[in-house]
Amino acid sequence: MPSILRHLLFIVVPLIAVFAVLPGVYQNHLLLFNFVIFLTLAQGVNIIYGFTGYLPFGYVGFFGAGAYGFAIMVMHYQSPAIIAVLVGGLVGVALGLLLTPLLRLSGAYFAIANLAASLAVLHFVANPALENITRGPYGVSLTGTFNPNDAYAAALVVLTLTLAAVVYLKNSSFGLALQAVREDAVSASMAGVSVVKMRVIAWLASALVAGLAGGVYAWYVSVFYPDNVFSGDFSIFAIVFALFGGVATITGPIVGVIILYGVYNLIGFTTPQYFQLIYGLLIMGLVLFLPAGLVSLATRRGWHVP
Amino acid sequence: MSPDSAPILEVTTLVKRFGGFHALDGLSFHVTSGEILGLVGPNGSGKTTAINVISGLYAPDGGEVALDGHSIGGVASHKLVHRGINRTFQIPKPFLSLTVRQNIEVALAHGRAGVAPPAMAALLEEYRLTEVADRPAADLNSAQQKMLDLVRALATGPRLLLLDELAAGLNPAELDWIAEKIKALASTGMAIIVVEHLMGFIEHITDRVIVLNAGKEIFEGTLAVAVKVPQVIEVFLGGEHAA
Amino acid sequence: MLVYALVAGVLFGLYFSLVGIGLNLVFGVMRIVNLAHGDFLMLGAFVAFGVVTLAGIDPLFAVPLAFVIFLLSGLLLYWVLVPRLQGSVNPEMLSIILFFGLSQVIEAVTTIFFGTSERSIQSRLLGTVFQTIKVKLFGGKPDGSGPIQIFGQGFPAPWVIAAVTSLIAIALVYVYLYRTRLGTLTRAVMSRRDEALATGIDVDRVSAAAFGIGLGLASLAGVFAPFMFGSVTPAFGADATVTSFAIVVLGSLGNPLGTALGGVVYGVCYMLVQTYLSSWADLLPYVLLIFILLLRPSGLLGRRVRVA
Repeated sequence: MPSILRHLLFIVVPLIAVFAVLPGVYQNHLLLFNFVIFLTLAQGVNIIYGFTGYLPFGYVGFFGAGAYGFAIMVMHYQSPAIIAVLVGGLVGVALGLLLTPLLRLSGAYFAIANLAASLAVLHFVANPALENITRGPYGVSLTGTFNPNDAYAAALVVLTLTLAAVVYLKNSSFGLALQAVREDAVSASMAGVSVVKMRVIAWLASALVAGLAGGVYAWYVSVFYPDNVFSGDFSIFAIVFALFGGVATITGPIVGVIILYGVYNLIGFTTPQYFQLIYGLLIMGLVLFLPAGLVSLATRRGWHVP
Repeated sequence: MSPDSAPILEVTTLVKRFGGFHALDGLSFHVTSGEILGLVGPNGSGKTTAINVISGLYAPDGGEVALDGHSIGGVASHKLVHRGINRTFQIPKPFLSLTVRQNIEVALAHGRAGVAPPAMAALLEEYRLTEVADRPAADLNSAQQKMLDLVRALATGPRLLLLDELAAGLNPAELDWIAEKIKALASTGMAIIVVEHLMGFIEHITDRVIVLNAGKEIFEGTLAVAVKVPQVIEVFLGGEHAA
Repeated sequence: MLVYALVAGVLFGLYFSLVGIGLNLVFGVMRIVNLAHGDFLMLGAFVAFGVVTLAGIDPLFAVPLAFVIFLLSGLLLYWVLVPRLQGSVNPEMLSIILFFGLSQVIEAVTTIFFGTSERSIQSRLLGTVFQTIKVKLFGGKPDGSGPIQIFGQGFPAPWVIAAVTSLIAIALVYVYLYRTRLGTLTRAVMSRRDEALATGIDVDRVSAAAFGIGLGLASLAGVFAPFMFGSVTPAFGADATVTSFAIVVLGSLGNPLGTALGGVVYGVCYMLVQTYLSSWADLLPYVLLIFILLLRPSGLLGRRVRVA
């Protein structure tokens, strides 16, 4: 069996099946929904950081833009939720296109410019001067489309597509070329790889994923403020989850989300600072002792991790 | 090789500046298919800069680089690779976290070799990488990394190959071995430009050398003749005394 | 109004220079972006709170105290974190993540001990030490610290005190870099790290000193943060880091004295936008940062260009 099929059959299908069945047996649907969102975002980070090497500290910018794309379609054009989610994805891509010049920057410069970009989008959307369009800082209420069950199903579809994209990257010469670019752009161009084109495609794919996730999130929660959907926690969690498991793999980010987001919920929302402390220490420990993530425990022993 | 065949690469009064420094200052030369041309000269004479401009890493500031009679100055590297130019690096930078096999796969998949590219197994075997094929490139020693860099270039099926100090750091047995490989490549019709400090190696493999000084050619012909030209001797001795 | 905005811009600008200079010193020497920079600023503000609430004295005393505490913490942190980091495959990317983790730890610990409420210090408390000295030496009655007159306009005294302190601190950084032996070595490491290593300079010692001084300067700037920004919470650090980065990039990365220029330009822009376009003022640091990075990544003074 070709490995692409094996990865779809033994990783993607079971994961989606579990999350499709769980709402029937587990009460806390919001928690399940958040798991699906973070699985999606962590894989989105995986696409741009794991395969391409750009650390997107402002990843939430696409997510928030997607949520507001959804909200504006519903508020101003009374669009059906599905269409609005797709528009959310397109808004993410449009923002990604606007920010493609950032890809000229490397390392820390990119990370911080991207963070600044996401904060700029937040302050733009939350500006009282745009109240007629975005409702500014007062938040949006989208009771007309409120339907958590459908939104959950849509989130699963987005997750499936995202996982399929990562499986493709892991098994295609396109994904291999991206990793080559990440390792050394000059050598990659001398292998015939069109470096700029590759980076832009990965960047837009990653933006699309976050935009769609943002749209679905807006649909699910239906009432939110700019500070909610542009919260830096989304970027941070997605990055930490992906790193913790191990990037440039299919399973790493999944393992990262399940373990760390599980821990987060055990510690509870009431004392987020304790979780912040723990994940801060985890990040530091990870960098110092296990820089390639949990999966490297296996790869060091010579086991292959998909 | 017939001396009157049209050159595959023609470099005419090439200029490349870095700030106020003229790394190339009106360099002209040509190379024909099947020929091995040596570029020699003291440090800083512009050899590596010439290779960097020809392979598209830098755009020239003046003059012309023509491949098959078409100007290619300023064309992006990956497009030049698709048109049949490739190179190795003085300090190879393989894709460290990918396996040797994956390193080569990238070039095979994206090189768009005009002719059918060599097969993976043959490349691994010929350049002594079969045993390490499934190890990450980070595990290779420096000689193996050089071979991987060469294989990466060959996997794109180049018609013009630029070798930047491929021999540096190899032991005498490896030198003889790689010299035969380079000659064999040329005998298939590939044009090869060799930048090298080891004069014995240059003498052994090149048909013709260009001696560079301060970004310009000061001699063209065989190395045996070059070493008798006073200007060349002065440049080399002067260069070494200054260094 | 324009005069007011310009003078206030210069006062804030001098202060902003102090905010950014530590980040730039650390970057210049270590090629590491200290993403916890803003958190050390925040901690400096908490030292000021401590001095006021526990000792009941002029928060100016927090300036030397914070500097010494964080200079020493910096030296300690350097030896714990950095050697391990530099042995890794990709120290640049990993250092961003490492210091990001550190910033999370600092924010969380501060929140655990002090809560999330906004803290401020009455602005008349800053500089009371001058009043006391004046009364003790020359007699007379304390007249309270009213606004300070510059070009016929009144500015809050803390702004002026912060600006003057910043000037002194920047001058001392200059003296350190250009008039001391360790400073000369520091400049050598900043301009050519590999060659400095090859010539046998103890790069670790120079870097540790730069890291300690960088954190010390950050915390020193933090002492004034409650007066310049109204109030401070443990979450203040993240925004402060981005602002500092904007200032540093504006001046020139890797050139600490360029930061002085960057700070003043930033301060004047900040005040002009605040005065004429106040609803968009929040956007300024971010938009400015992105444009500078894209259009002139080497900053106003620099030559270094960092592109992928």
